[in-house]
Amino acid sequence: MDQSISEDELIAVCGKVGRILLTSGAETSRVEGTVEYIGRAAHYDITCHATITALFVGVNNQTRTHLVKVRLGDFNLEKVDEINTMSRKFVTGKIDFNELKKTINQIDKKVIDFTWPEKIFGAALVSVAPMLLFKATWSDLGLAFFVGIFGYLAAALSSPRIKTPYVSPGLGGFVVGFLAAFLQSMGIATNAGNIIVSALMPLVPGVAITNSFREIIDRNTISGVVRAVDALIIAGSIGAGVVIGASLSGIIFHLIGGAL
Amino acid sequence: MKILIELIVSFLSTVGFGLVTNVPRRSLLPAGITGSLAWVAYYLVLQVDNGLILPNFTAAIVIGILGNISAMLFRVPVNIIYVPSLVSLVPGGILYLGMRSFTLGNEMRTGQYMFNALTIAIALAVGFVVAEVIFYRIKPILINALEKKSEN
Repeated sequence: MDQSISEDELIAVCGKVGRILLTSGAETSRVEGTVEYIGRAAHYDITCHATITALFVGVNNQTRTHLVKVRLGDFNLEKVDEINTMSRKFVTGKIDFNELKKTINQIDKKVIDFTWPEKIFGAALVSVAPMLLFKATWSDLGLAFFVGIFGYLAAALSSPRIKTPYVSPGLGGFVVGFLAAFLQSMGIATNAGNIIVSALMPLVPGVAITNSFREIIDRNTISGVVRAVDALIIAGSIGAGVVIGASLSGIIFHLIGGAL
Repeated sequence: MKILIELIVSFLSTVGFGLVTNVPRRSLLPAGITGSLAWVAYYLVLQVDNGLILPNFTAAIVIGILGNISAMLFRVPVNIIYVPSLVSLVPGGILYLGMRSFTLGNEMRTGQYMFNALTIAIALAVGFVVAEVIFYRIKPILINALEKKSEN
């Protein structure tokens, strides 16, 4: 019945599904699972191999293989959820192949996102770290709420504009370090270090490094190592940004203080 | 009282990270509850055992079990619950401190921070594996209970 689906079409759709899932932050095993699931529902024996940088889709007993190149992306978990819902509907037979193809294309093009005010509010909430409760003073945590907004904005606004990788998280760190050190030298904040650690929470790749170890334990060694190295370099770029920002703030404050 | 404050702040933190990473709206609340309960578990274990491994391991088990259950109930991929709930536990801050010491040329502290970050990440990852093993044991019981509920 489903033999009307051509092999080429199926492989193309599967490749697209895999690419969207990988760039939106799904685990490799889930990507492979979903693609093979769709293939089986369409009565083809599809094999998928995913690493974090490339994705291979092919039909068993055939020579054709589709290779999709992937770049590491940011989290966009809503896309993962939509693709998951679609593939589930296709497997249970609620929608046919043409409809699946259409919706996948729509999901690929659509910018699914919360609005900017919502995201800024979210970043601000993350910036009050539970780790520092009762360790930092309450006023410092309150300041971190606002410093975190500026850090997140600097990183998020610069990332589509700057093509060089790893610059935008560094920029976020720079803004956070600069503001925190400035607040401390003004005498408003008590401990700049606490504000910096707290306000960096939305930027630091902590979740990425934990996911990378989950992948390594799941025997997806290549993806795990790539994610871990990526997380380490992002953290390095943030660290360098903070150091530059804080020392620049110190120099500026010193100059102003000298002039007064 | 202290625990209540910890609970509220970690709930807000989790929901905030959910907004940043674009989770679907219907999973914000279960993710928030999972994250805050995991943080409270971490906090309580920390009072007894002042180490790195045991508190994080316990919190990861809580996230793993609650996350899988809410993924089943709300029909979302389980990663969507995991990612926001993890935000208050993960060693992001320590990783940053380590790389800052590296930038400043302080080898001793770099090694110490990096080692701590590695320990926490591995404790969390192993906790997830254990939680999934437990969850697949209790899954049939849960499905049975759900079916009975829908029959009534």
